Amino acid sequence: MDSLHAIGFYVSAAVSIGGGLLVAFLPGRGGRGLALALSGLGIAGLYASLSAEFAGLVAFVCFAGCAMLIAGPRYRAVDAPAGMAWRQAGAVGAAGLFAILAYAAFRGDFVQATYRGGEFGIAGVGHLLFTHDALAAEAVGALVLVALVGGTAAWRVRERGR
Amino acid sequence: MNASLVSILFVGVALVAVGAFVATWKRDLTAALAGLPLMFGGAGVAFAGAARFSAAGDPKIFGQEVAALLAVAALALVALGVGIAGRGTSR
Repeated sequence: MDSLHAIGFYVSAAVSIGGGLLVAFLPGRGGRGLALALSGLGIAGLYASLSAEFAGLVAFVCFAGCAMLIAGPRYRAVDAPAGMAWRQAGAVGAAGLFAILAYAAFRGDFVQATYRGGEFGIAGVGHLLFTHDALAAEAVGALVLVALVGGTAAWRVRERGR
Repeated sequence: MNASLVSILFVGVALVAVGAFVATWKRDLTAALAGLPLMFGGAGVAFAGAARFSAAGDPKIFGQEVAALLAVAALALVALGVGIAGRGTSR
């Protein structure tokens, strides 16, 4: 990775993590939506600096959709039954998760291995799905999204009719 | 200045941890849903980074495809959660 891409990577990392922290601490849903969109912009920049421009475009569109849902007029607040102590325990758990995963990342590296599974193994099927039939796999993902959103919309319409 | 695989995994880990923090810290469950795309985005960054630095040729697209699918799945989950929350309070 050359210096220009590295600078873009670190700037995008700062934007995405900063946006995530703003999502946690901003009080209003409008601000949270904007912060989530900012974080999505940073993640799209991360993908672009890793030569994954298409994934970056998809991620940006999806984060923008999430931000519109979070900041939109159909947003309804649902208070959690858990108290402050449990939420603080969850925050400490998130810090512990960060420590464990950071240690795993620090020790992370590629392993030299030889694959002898053959053409019809699981790895072969996965390879086919994500290389030769990549567009079809994307279409399945889009179909799942449309099905979930349509199911939710139908559910709400039926409940309103009662 | 350079970014290695470890740097990319660190950024992915930080995004996952920030997402988990958002999901646990927010009192409002619908607001906690905003942590899901962050966690999925962190996983996607790790996938795309591993694909970027892998030695083989073709599988580079594998991590990118997983990252794109994770983003779509995050959007679907947030849409489902916001829809269910709206259903629960609209009666």
